[in-house]
Order: sequence, then C-alpha cells, then structure tokens
Amino acid sequence: MDILKVRDAADVEQVVQATLANEQPLEILGHGSKRAIGHASATNAVLDMSALDAIVSYEPNELLLTVGAGAPLADVLSLIDSKNQHFAFEPMNSAKLLGTGHDAGTIGGMLAAGFAGPRRVKDGGARDHLLGAHAVSGFGETFKTGGKVVKNVTGYDLCKLLCGSWGTLAVMTEVTLKVMPRPESQRTLVLLGLDDVTAVRAMTAALGSPYDVSGAAHLPASVLRDTDSRLTEIAGGKALTLVRLEGIAASVKHRAGSLTTTLATYGAADVVDDDVSTGLWPLVRDVTPFAADGAFGTRPVWRIVCPPASGGKLGQGLAGDTGGDVLYDWGGGLIWAALPADSDAHAALVRGRAEAVGGHATLVRAPETLRSTVDVFHPPQSGVAALTQRVKHSFDPKNILNRGRMTRGTTP
Amino acid sequence: MSIKMPVPDAGVLGRREEIITALRRIVPGEGVISSAAEMVPYESDALNSYRQPPMVVVLPNTTEQVAQVLKYCHDNGIRVVPRGSGTSLSGGSLPLADAVLLGMGKFKRIREIDFDNRVVVTEPGVTNLAISQAVAHAGFYYAPDPSSQIACSIGGNIAENSGGVHCLKYGMTTNNVLGCEIVLITGEILRIGGKAPECSGYDLMGVITGSEGLLGVVTEITVRILQKPETARAVMAGFPSVESAGECVARIIAAGIIPAGMEMMDKPATAAAEAFVNAGYPLDVEALLIVELDGPKVEVDELILRVDAIARECGQTTCQISNSEEERLLFWAGRKAAFPAVGRISPDYICMDGTIPRGRLAEALTRIRELSEKYQLRCANVFHAGDGNLHPLILFDANLPGEMDSAEAFGADILRTCVELGGVLTGEHGVGVEKRDLMPEMFSDIDLAQQQRLKCAFDSQGLLNPGKVFPTLHRCAELGRVHVHAGKLAFPELPRF
Repeated sequence: MDILKVRDAADVEQVVQATLANEQPLEILGHGSKRAIGHASATNAVLDMSALDAIVSYEPNELLLTVGAGAPLADVLSLIDSKNQHFAFEPMNSAKLLGTGHDAGTIGGMLAAGFAGPRRVKDGGARDHLLGAHAVSGFGETFKTGGKVVKNVTGYDLCKLLCGSWGTLAVMTEVTLKVMPRPESQRTLVLLGLDDVTAVRAMTAALGSPYDVSGAAHLPASVLRDTDSRLTEIAGGKALTLVRLEGIAASVKHRAGSLTTTLATYGAADVVDDDVSTGLWPLVRDVTPFAADGAFGTRPVWRIVCPPASGGKLGQGLAGDTGGDVLYDWGGGLIWAALPADSDAHAALVRGRAEAVGGHATLVRAPETLRSTVDVFHPPQSGVAALTQRVKHSFDPKNILNRGRMTRGTTP
Repeated sequence: MSIKMPVPDAGVLGRREEIITALRRIVPGEGVISSAAEMVPYESDALNSYRQPPMVVVLPNTTEQVAQVLKYCHDNGIRVVPRGSGTSLSGGSLPLADAVLLGMGKFKRIREIDFDNRVVVTEPGVTNLAISQAVAHAGFYYAPDPSSQIACSIGGNIAENSGGVHCLKYGMTTNNVLGCEIVLITGEILRIGGKAPECSGYDLMGVITGSEGLLGVVTEITVRILQKPETARAVMAGFPSVESAGECVARIIAAGIIPAGMEMMDKPATAAAEAFVNAGYPLDVEALLIVELDGPKVEVDELILRVDAIARECGQTTCQISNSEEERLLFWAGRKAAFPAVGRISPDYICMDGTIPRGRLAEALTRIRELSEKYQLRCANVFHAGDGNLHPLILFDANLPGEMDSAEAFGADILRTCVELGGVLTGEHGVGVEKRDLMPEMFSDIDLAQQQRLKCAFDSQGLLNPGKVFPTLHRCAELGRVHVHAGKLAFPELPRF
C-alpha cells in the first residue's frame, strides 16, 4: 500500500493532480477510526491527512473554530471544553462500536461521516455546524465554500454536501465550525420498564413539550448486558428510558419537575442530576451496549433513521422478527439494530421496513465479506440515484476520491 | 438598472405565441398570463429598482403541471424564472425578457400537520407565518421569522435560506427543513428527505436550500416545528458608543448565553424608528441594544439579570427591562419597523446585508461612516448583533441625477468592506442580481467554477434562473473538463454579460 503523508493543502492538491493524471483512485484517511464503515476503497493509494492538524484559530467569543481537517477530535474537544464550549451536535465516537480502540478520529472524519449524537433532536447534526471549508476537488483544484461567520447565504452551501459524503466529493483541508456554550447543568429523567412502543410514545410527549429536551433514548432490558455499564446499573434489569434536560440550573430543575408531571402517565420518573447524567449520555451516543467487545460484538449493526414517532413499532418489529436487538436515540428517530448474522444481515427486511415509514438504513458494522455483497448505504430511488451520480461527477469526474466507498461495485 | 442580464434569445421571443399556446394546454384557464397590463405585478420583486416584464407568466396548480411546464421549457430551450411571493430583497425572482415566469402562488395548501413527528408538510406558496398559525393551537410554531413573514412564502424561504431575528438561537431555514419534493428542469419529480431527521446519501436538501431557484422548483416542503417557549422578555440598553455595545454583545456570548435575539441600532436608525413608532427609545445614545431571552420564566428571569449586569459593566447609559408582553413587543416595534421608518425620512433607500465577524463591528461602522461622507449619502444601521449580520440602510433620492448609482456604489463598497473584514456578501437576503457581480470579491474563479459545476448536475443547459448568483455564465462541458497538469486550471476569460 502506498501511503502519501501530506504536509499541507498544497500537497493535497498535488497528490490529487498526480493521481488524476494516472486515473489512480485515492483513499482519504484521517486516523482511520471509521475505515471499517462503507465499502472497502478500490485502491491501494492512501492519502494520509493526519499531519494537517493545526488549530488555525479559535475565537470563543465569536463561537468559531478553524482547524486543519486532520486535527484529532479528542484534542479539539478538550481545547473548546477549556472555554466551556462544545460541538452541540455531540459527535459520536465509533471506536467502541467498531472495536478500533479509543481513538475518536479526526475532525475531517467526523464531518465526512456526520454521525451526530443524542443532542441532534435539539441542535441538529454536523451539517448544521460546518460553516466553511477549504477542500480539494477531484479536479485537483482547491476551492473554498461558506465562510468564517455564523450567518451566510453567499453562493451554494457546499458545506452541507461535504458533511456525510464520506470523502467522495472532495478532500477537506481546513474547516470552520460553529461551537456553542456548554450547558451549565443537566438532569436526566429515568423511566423504567416501558416496552419500545410505549417508550417512544413517552419520548414523543417529552419532545413535543415546551421543556426543551436535549436527548431522548430508550434501551430495552435485553441490550443492557454489560454489568460494568452505568446504564445496566441504573436499569436494574428493566428497560431504560432516558430524557435529558440541559441549561442553567434553576431552569433545568424547573423543567425536570414539569416534565415529570407530563410523563406521569408513563410511570414515576427518577431524576438524576449532573454527575450521573453526564456519565450516561456518552454511552448512548457511542452505542456502547453493542460494543465490539461486548455481548453483541459479533453481530452486524444497522443505523436506521426514521420519522421518530414510527421508531418504536419499526424497532420492535425488526427485533422480534429477526431475533435481534435494538436501541433507540433521537426520541425514536435513530434506531441502532444488532441483528443476528445472516447471509445479507437482513438487508431486504431492514430496508423494506425502513422505507415503508420514510426512513433509511446504513450497515455500520459488518465484516468486509458481508459488505462486499450488501449495500452499506441505503440505495436511493432511481431519480435521486442519478442526481447523486451527477453531483459526484460535478466534484470528482474521474471518480478518484474514495472510489466505491459509498456505492458497491462502482466503476469510473 | 445597472446590471447586465443575459441577452434575450431572439429565437425564443419569435416563438412567443406558440409558447403561450403550449403553456395554456398544460395550465388551462387563467393560469397563463400574457397581456402586458396583467404582467405588470410580476415585473419586479422587493428589489424594485430592477424591473423587467417577463415573456409570459404561468401559475400552475399541481406538481404535474410544474413538471410539464419545466419539461416543455427544457425541451424547447426556454429559460424559466421561479417566483414565490416576490419578496426577495436581492432580485432573486427578477424576470427575464425571454423567460417564462413560473409563479408558485397557487400552491397554498398545508398538506399535513404531524405533531407526533413535529413536522408540517406544506406546499411552497404557503406563507411563513401561516405555518406558525396553523400549529399555534397546539403550542407549536415554525422558528425562522424573516421580517417579511406575513407575505413571504415558504418556497421562497427555501430558495433564499431565509433567516430572521431569532436565527441566532433557532437557526436559519436550512436548519429547520427536513425534506422536499422538487421538480428538475427536465420535468423529473424527485423526493429528497422527508419526516426523518436526516436524509440518506448526500445532503441534497442542504444544497437545494439557499440555491436561489437555480437548481429546481420545490413543490412540497417538510419543515420542523417547535414548541413555543413558555415566556420571553427583552432588555433594551443604550450605550455611549458602538464599541461599548459591541463589547456587551461579545461578553453576553462569552458568558455562555445565546439570546433568542440580539439586535443593535445606531443613532440614525434609532431616531428614525422612534419618530415612527414612539417606542420610548433613548435618542441620546450612540447604540441601542435589544436582547431577548426566551424559555421557562425562571430561566428568563435569571438570564435577564445576568445580561443586565453585563450591560452595566460595559457602560450602558440607559436600560429598560420588559415587564409585560406589551412592553416587550413595544421594544421590538421600532426595530421591526426600522425599514419603513427609514423610508419616511428619505424618498428612497436600499438595504444592504453583509455579515462580519462580530468583533469587527466598530471598525465596520467607522468604515461605513467614512463611505457615507465620501458618497455624500446618509446611512442608518440596524444589525443582527448576535450573528454579525449588518443591515446598513443607504438613504437617497432616485429623482436626483446620479444618486441611485452613488447609492449602489456605496452599497457595493460596504459589502467589499465586509469581505475585507473577514465577512461575507450576504447573511440572509441572497446574492440574486444585486450582489452577483460582487461574487469575485469573495470567491476565486475556481470557487465559482465548483459551484457552477454543481448547478450543471441539476440543470445542464443553464435554463433555470440564469443571470442570478453567478457573474459569468459558463457552458457545462467547459466546466466539466479535467485539466491534468500541475498548477492552476487554465480558466478562459469569458466576457461578462
């Protein structure tokens, strides 16, 4: 394998130009923490972005951060944490799920994957926080899009396309992100023993209330097998429904009281405050019950996004009919499903049912052999598929960048 | 009109009658308007210094009709200009002499309200405010609130990625839209996203939002709705200098407070607003800041005190805190009426829309003052202070020879200043025709080429809304050519139309 360790954006441009001349595909790599997601890249040339790790500027008062795409996410998070700020979309660390150690990867990888955590229900996803980018297209040209201000409508918002494009459109070299003040305090309402459908109903009531819920997750008892996990401990053998409130202390206390009343029909909620609450949500965010080294470690894992209110029935049905296990985030709008291994990871069933409610499914964890026969990303309907191809072509006409990562069996 | 638009296609103009007949076949009855008198209301949008009668106006009722109109235009090489309510401040729906003006005003139905999924599915001609009104009985609202919300359509909001005073906390249109049905220029009908919190594959919804009618015509939209905050209160603080008011804004943010709205007005804007609505604004301050907090009462009451304390530290000279809903609305009345208020003290005005890094505010206002002297034109400034979005209002009299040109040149210099200070040309009004020729101030030829390549993926013949956003038209074949050599792409110099 040919690893090209670039030093700066000019190097990236040169490498892409060179590979373009040879029509040689290029795999774009940060730390490789999410390398096992998607189809294996059809190449042996790797562009290593990890040296583009500069913190270019951080202006807490402007809520702005500009960094090299290779900057380690962990370092960036601790930097902004020092000013009581955070990425409001709560980026997921997929290392435990994928069994790749602890490394949360780079900022570029975080954006290219665009996996947001529980706070997506309130503050949006990665795509809502990328304000500007410099990137090298598959034309071998450096372009910029967006800007270094929070409010901007000048030209097409190409940042949106870059988020979640898995490096197939352009190589981001430098990005400007919106950072937000970290909430001063948080509490979590805990409901025990609800079935999936009822739990989603309770979360729907919470999210439809005026109490500004910033997380709503449900973990059936069957997924809480890790005896060391705080989640298992709190659940005490029952299904666990969690609803988070954040803000200034007085407000959180007030809302926790009001929401407990709102949810009374679903049971008497326990309220856990800061210390315990802050420990729970990263476990949900990172889908630790399905960790690669845990009880479900050998199962393929799907990430299903659907209209939140339909999540309970969809998840319960999938679990029941496959003998698999599911857990819910985003009030039911995100289902993580660890289904028993099967020739196609139950792809037809999962995708058919997700589509039936207006959702879609990504096979986030599966052995490479399985990924070579099952589409990892949800195949779009024909018109959108054609448009998607034209959009890809408009950034990368020779299909140089991460060829085949998102589309199985892609040829140039 | 001082901007050049694409040269009308004489061949298309020569076939006008045939085109009108064909359109009438697709949209029967009164849906095709072709008499000069009846087309007058469509000659301009809210940027009304630019006017152009369209070739013909078509007002379809159904997605199928939109698809057939677009397919017909595509197959016959006819340009199309989409239009919502016509409230664009950047000329986004300015007609072309040889183009079909496609009005979406008949798409006025809200199709579905889904409280459980917290979404509304609506047709694009529904006004922004009507969405909030339709869900108000259940305590919900649609967050983005452009000041034209009584009139502007949600389809137009998608095209422009509209903002509003509350977007600091609640985001712009793009952060509140989940999906759409879109018709491409070929007549193909696609569904992008839906009620799920994010779409699969590339975020096409994200790039359609704010694309100013150049990528497709949206015929259905799914937006997110939120529960109305329990309460809202506002602080109105006067400062002896723009610098001290700017410092106050920075410290509020630094203290971890994201207000629902944070607006600043300079002395001329405050005076004009006060004369118009008698809101009780102090007239002896250099800058007036309105900070609104919303949420549960206990939270708002505490944050109001924190904001007030910060404002004191920053040297506020006057301060009022709203103690009732009436008082809060009164604080806003002047700010919300700032544009018409300025209209009363000047025969004409244009409103600019640059964004700057918040920290450069004082510098920006100093530069604007200098330009005001240079051009000998008055200028009043209102400012979405929380997100750095500046709206200088340039006052002039179009009846005085040369004054309109001076005002436009002044405006262009302000936007250049914004870019120079690290900002951008437009925060919420869009590029349209107004800022089209300033795009190279912010973007290189390569940056613009990449955006135009994306346009080609949606509209390979450049038939949808040409002459907007991009200063130079390029053929898609030329943009798509790969130049394999070191160094910059050899970019042929094309004449600007």
